[in-house]
Amino acid sequence: MNSCPPSNLLTVDALSKDYKGQPILEDIHLELHKEEFVTLLGPSGCGKSTLFNLIAGLIPPRSGRILIKGEDITGQTGRVSYMHQKDLLLPWRDVTGNGAVPLEIRGSSREEARKVVQEALEIFGLEGHGHKYPSQLSGGMRQRVSLLRTTMFSKEIMLLDEPFGGLDAMTRFAMQQYLLTVLKKIKGSVIFITHDIEEAIFLSDRIYVMKGAPAHIVDEVRVTLKKPRSPEILSLPEFHALREHILKQLEE
Amino acid sequence: MKKFQNIADKWLLFLLILLWQATVSLGLVKPYILPSPAAIVTELFSSFKVLVYHAAITFTEGIVGLLAATLIAFITALLMDRYAGVKKALYPLLVISQTVPIIIIAPLIAMWFGFGIAPKIFVVVLVCFFPVTISLTDGLSEVDPELIDLLRSMGARPYAIYTKVKLPYTLSNFYSGLKIAATYSIMGAVIGEWLGGKAGLGVYMLRARNSFALEKVFASILIIVLLSIGIFGLIKWIQKRTMPWAHLQEDDHQ
Repeated sequence: MNSCPPSNLLTVDALSKDYKGQPILEDIHLELHKEEFVTLLGPSGCGKSTLFNLIAGLIPPRSGRILIKGEDITGQTGRVSYMHQKDLLLPWRDVTGNGAVPLEIRGSSREEARKVVQEALEIFGLEGHGHKYPSQLSGGMRQRVSLLRTTMFSKEIMLLDEPFGGLDAMTRFAMQQYLLTVLKKIKGSVIFITHDIEEAIFLSDRIYVMKGAPAHIVDEVRVTLKKPRSPEILSLPEFHALREHILKQLEE
Repeated sequence: MKKFQNIADKWLLFLLILLWQATVSLGLVKPYILPSPAAIVTELFSSFKVLVYHAAITFTEGIVGLLAATLIAFITALLMDRYAGVKKALYPLLVISQTVPIIIIAPLIAMWFGFGIAPKIFVVVLVCFFPVTISLTDGLSEVDPELIDLLRSMGARPYAIYTKVKLPYTLSNFYSGLKIAATYSIMGAVIGEWLGGKAGLGVYMLRARNSFALEKVFASILIIVLLSIGIFGLIKWIQKRTMPWAHLQEDDHQ
């Protein structure tokens, strides 16, 4: 197999999955490079989240492999971090305690884990909120904590499954910019799921367009808009050209 | 101000006691049919020592039974949650165990366990473990599966999933069940004592009733009520201390 050059952090190779006898994912190929932001764009319910569950090792594929730096990790949990649309914070733990969960699972003591998280609060714009409970935070702040917890597990490969889907439009836009700022600071690599074309273009380096039943990748789009991304990008002709192109792919 | 409000909220209770006193004082009901609240309180003070002696025994049986029931409930609920087969087999049996009338099998319990403290504790356990087990079992099965998947994706083992998510998640359910069980616990001990025994409020009540000393019966009832409310309040207090996050909103408004 020569399709895994060392620059490939994650490779999904010919992955297929059935559900109740029906194929739902067919021959998925994708790759993620270091410090890259890759988006899976497709209609709701097309199987994007199933692909994430496969990469996270929560469910086994029918066929195909998942590789990290060339090592086969198909069916292994604990190799990538995973963030959901629901914040899934533990209401009985404060912000620091929630961030500490993945470190504790890896074997750190509660005190050690809290210390590590406390030092990271500032990067995530959570300084001064460490002792607050989730019920005292807004939706946007809760997703910040959720992102903090995700990176505490691993920032090498992060799977973000529509993390801003439950937020209102204003908060959502602020969170997109926030995400890019944080990722730059922590040098993380991300696979992002969304069905929002503009969100995909604004955030990504590359976009895989998925659709169909069974779902497959119909196009790979490289986003060459300059970085760091600012809101002005939304009015550039390149941005609109990309949007038109992707819309056409999805409609065909 | 808050204290005054608390007293004012109990107006219905005061009204009923007043009505009760008036009914007896006016001679509408004879005192040997229904003693007046004043007579009951007088009796409570005059036989205070004897009542405390019996109440201490009943209280011990109730508390020990409640603790044993909680322990059994935890083990049962955890086993049922971990192994679907255990749940399928055991859950219906648990429900059946609650449909058996205790008064009827009571003499058998005395035959099995004798007349000491054991049969009383057994009855308390029998009535208390059910609400705790059910509330725990239901709570454990209601945890968001996405949350469990998230922990699994981090490579968490079942032990970590229970200690970090499932058990804390179930706390409020657990306390609901425990509060119901608490109100049953003293009553369970008293029923246990009726089966036969040498001491305890149940025994004392039987003796008092047989000698038509109704004030003594009612004084015992008053003690039972106070003990039950006491245990209930204690659990509420523990709940508030162990679940600080659940009371944040209340604190914000004060």
